[in-house]
Amino acid sequence: MPRLRIAEVFVEHARSAPTREALYESLLQCCTDMGVRYFALTHHIDFGREAGPAVRLHNYPPSWEEWFDEHGLGRSDPIHRACNLASVGFAWSAVPNMIKLTPDDRCVLERAYRLGIGEGFTIPASVPGEALGSCSFAVDAGRPFPEEFQFVCQLIGGFAFEAARRISGSRAILTEHPPILTDRQRDCVLWAARGKTDWEISVILGVSHETVIQHLKHARERYGVQKRALLAVRALFDGLISFSDILKR
Amino acid sequence: MVLLVDSTVDSVTDTVFRGMFAARKSVFIDLLKWDLPVLDGRYEVDQFDDAHARYLILTNADHAHLASARLLPTTRPHILDTLFPALCERAVPRGPRVWEISRFCLGRQLRAAERRQVRNQLVSAIAAHALQAEIEIYTGVAEIAWLEQILSFGWQCRPLGEPLPNQGAILGALEITITPNTPADLTAGGVWFPIVPTNCRRAAPPTAEAPR
Repeated sequence: MPRLRIAEVFVEHARSAPTREALYESLLQCCTDMGVRYFALTHHIDFGREAGPAVRLHNYPPSWEEWFDEHGLGRSDPIHRACNLASVGFAWSAVPNMIKLTPDDRCVLERAYRLGIGEGFTIPASVPGEALGSCSFAVDAGRPFPEEFQFVCQLIGGFAFEAARRISGSRAILTEHPPILTDRQRDCVLWAARGKTDWEISVILGVSHETVIQHLKHARERYGVQKRALLAVRALFDGLISFSDILKR
Repeated sequence: MVLLVDSTVDSVTDTVFRGMFAARKSVFIDLLKWDLPVLDGRYEVDQFDDAHARYLILTNADHAHLASARLLPTTRPHILDTLFPALCERAVPRGPRVWEISRFCLGRQLRAAERRQVRNQLVSAIAAHALQAEIEIYTGVAEIAWLEQILSFGWQCRPLGEPLPNQGAILGALEITITPNTPADLTAGGVWFPIVPTNCRRAAPPTAEAPR
């Protein structure tokens, strides 16, 4: 089958896939057509501890999922972490050049290999304002990854995540809870994210110290968080402030 | 407001038009470092910005540019057939009801929250314009991360070929089918935010001014 045809067939199926099971079957078909063994389409959350409409579909050995959740790797898995630094797909062999691997990370990668998961290719799904996720494909341990399929993987990953979004309704979370801060609260959060104290923010914005304290208190209440750092992170996640807002001079 | 700009010159839209070309320079040349021609040190204008192009331009009440997109007829030379035909596995889609979207541009001055809203308004305006002007298919070339965002809007997309590396990025070509269902699809994607376009006559692309 020509390479693009694999993606086209997948797009056709994924568009109308009514359930997770149907999407699973379509991804499995892609694996067969590309000559790879495994796929994993997942949000990067801790599935052992968090509930919600997140998606996780994969055909890794069951013992891998168990071990993965026991160790709470949804957020800290080295491949998932590397996704934070990538806007396009990457081979797992490139990960040591992307993030600094800790001894625990090496243990994770070795464990996967021992369970038969070999070389892989991961497509990060990073649409602003949504939980991070990724779509990975991997071959049996000891076999080479068919590199000629990397670009097709890239397409399949993008469309697969779009189907997952639709099926899980995970983007509904986003639209039902729009950003909820006032402009002034947002300004205070932005300056707090830039590392300014309440007093400094009051000078910058030309308002009283007490006013800034109140703005940030209300902003924390609206997000239901206790800490200043978490407030900044939530506002970043919602797209209410951006990295370039914080870092620009 | 959103302006639909086409054909012939008018002085009212001159400001809007210049604002768009300046914003395009700021985004595509200064920020994204695309290798594109610059006019008069201020404007990004290329060979496709001719009398056949249409533009959807979002401005604030003072006519300052917020966001814009260019629509090119596929019956004439356009980006996909002229610059990136290799991104199409088969023939480049063409026809009177097939238009190409390019230079999707969000002003750099927009803050994160506004950006999202303005982006949604522009995407909605693009879809609404198709329904009004009987365009059935949009095509476009996009970097892969942007391509993924385009998919996430929820409208009906199809890849036209395998993505290919190009100048350090990976580019892909997409086809977007617009149907009466598209507004509902975009609503499900949390993107639908229509505003009624004001039709405008078009200002000529800026020309370099003689040194004084």
